Amino acid sequence: MKRFSSDWYWYYVINYTLVILIVFPIYWTFISSVKSPAELITSDPTYFPQTWTWKYYYQIWNYDLSAAWQFNDGDYFEKKSRSLKESFFNFFNPDEKKSIGRAFWNSIVVSFGTIVLTTIVCTFAGYALAVLRGPFKNIIFLLIITPILFPGVSLIIPLYKILKDIGLLNNLYGLIFLHSTFMLPLGVFMMRNAFKSIPSSLREVSILEGTSELQIILRVLLPLCIPGLLTVMVFAMYVSWNDYIFAYVFVSTAEKEVLNVALAKIALGGNEFDMKWGSITAGSVVSFIPIIIFYTFLQQYFVRGVTGSAVKE
Amino acid sequence: MTFVRKEKIIFLLMVSPALLLLAIFFLWPLFNSFWISFHTWPMFGKPKWVGLDNYINTLNDPRFWDTLKFTTIYTFTATPMLFIVALITALLCNVRAWGTTFFRAMYFLPVVLSFATASYMWLWLYSELYGIIIYVLELFGFGGPGKNLNVWTTPTSSLWAVNTMVTWKFSGIQMIILIAGLQAIRDDYNEASTLMGASRWQTIWHVTLPLLRPSIALCLILCIAGGYQAYEQFLIMTQGGPQGSTRTILMHTTDLGFAFFKLGPAASVGIFVMIIIFVITAIQLRLFKPH
Repeated sequence: MKRFSSDWYWYYVINYTLVILIVFPIYWTFISSVKSPAELITSDPTYFPQTWTWKYYYQIWNYDLSAAWQFNDGDYFEKKSRSLKESFFNFFNPDEKKSIGRAFWNSIVVSFGTIVLTTIVCTFAGYALAVLRGPFKNIIFLLIITPILFPGVSLIIPLYKILKDIGLLNNLYGLIFLHSTFMLPLGVFMMRNAFKSIPSSLREVSILEGTSELQIILRVLLPLCIPGLLTVMVFAMYVSWNDYIFAYVFVSTAEKEVLNVALAKIALGGNEFDMKWGSITAGSVVSFIPIIIFYTFLQQYFVRGVTGSAVKE
Repeated sequence: MTFVRKEKIIFLLMVSPALLLLAIFFLWPLFNSFWISFHTWPMFGKPKWVGLDNYINTLNDPRFWDTLKFTTIYTFTATPMLFIVALITALLCNVRAWGTTFFRAMYFLPVVLSFATASYMWLWLYSELYGIIIYVLELFGFGGPGKNLNVWTTPTSSLWAVNTMVTWKFSGIQMIILIAGLQAIRDDYNEASTLMGASRWQTIWHVTLPLLRPSIALCLILCIAGGYQAYEQFLIMTQGGPQGSTRTILMHTTDLGFAFFKLGPAASVGIFVMIIIFVITAIQLRLFKPH
């Protein structure tokens, strides 16, 4: 292709059209969530909100999920809306209300727990499998990566029974453990490769200097494995924040609900003519904002983790 | 204590958390899955051994075959859509030009959203009265004047509506795999074919695509394995409707297990799903062994 030819013109026309088509649903969801009810529910859609309102956000923030069925009660805003300040403090006292704030908090707890547990477990296992000598090394490695052959969703019935038996049903720790377990193949694989790529002389020198194994990992080798570590952390967050089926099946009370499942409660209430769509779009925005912020800053690790889990290069 | 022995102990200590998680939340359920499937589980009292009865009942259950058939249809209609979009975006991003990094980032963006969120977003886009997609479709004359277009009334339109959402949501992963494959193709081939007078389309068709075959196969297999795990997109968008025509095999499993409390049959359906996905993934690993 020659520079400045009409080919380039078409190249950018096609690309920008595709970008607009792909980003449009996200843009549309966002502007729908800030439109006024009259503007939202009209047969003549506007492509930029004429009046901005954060009503729906107040509404879902203060909305009692355990009373999902009374959502249609007439003057909803008057009854339930609170000041922003109050909502803000509710967020830090999630026990007080069973709102989407509570679900948001639960999602954060589960994601954070998964990130921490996955990072610790995968770092140690990856280090041991890459560097140390030990018995049954290959068998252990193969065992750890077997979950890629059996998707967690096909084990949903026995998992339910086991979680019930050990008392982790309806419990956020249960979700953390499950997400971490199904993160193991990618996590251990990534960390093992990361540790393997570091010359072994570095570790040998540290041993001669009398550094303990734990200190070698934390002080010497881990700083050199930051890309691998970030990939694992980002992917753990991605898996945990976006999980639906485990959270949907294994958690049943409103106080323990995570964000993705809480969205269903909002969707159940209301009808076409009601404020339902405003709340759903606001809920969607709340649920994708954190992950899009992460994506903006850590894009390459997302790409690497998401495809690495598929390709296992 | 010798140095080697100490190292072995440290090794075992370091892999034990991973093995513990694996044992409790993966290996134990895996074995339990078979154990449950050989028993009936009454509401009260002890489980009873019934041998292969659950499997035989599953194979004789029309709902099993209906959901399996639907899941297969979904998989083999969504896969080509995903693949074509992924191939187009990958070829567009593989050009050396200003802005490709930005385009790639934008094409990958929907991948990071969760299936649940994406489903709710598209439910709004498809909303019968105020959805923007419906609005655009009606502008083009679909549905006819005075009639409201509703994509959820027939099984076929429901399927294509969900397929469109899945294509939007998922083609980014396939695109990245294809880009990795494209970058591995040496420039010499393209240059040689251009020198020999081939047009750009001929180069793509006769040179690029054949060389890209391993990545293409990987994409297709991933799509197929993913298709059989379809769950939340149909649960949220169609609720299995209309008349249970869009229920996936996993919805069948969870319904049996948690709505009817038939754990034995549900576990046997789960094992069939496992076998299907296991075979597909095993083929995948077989084809793409590191050289």
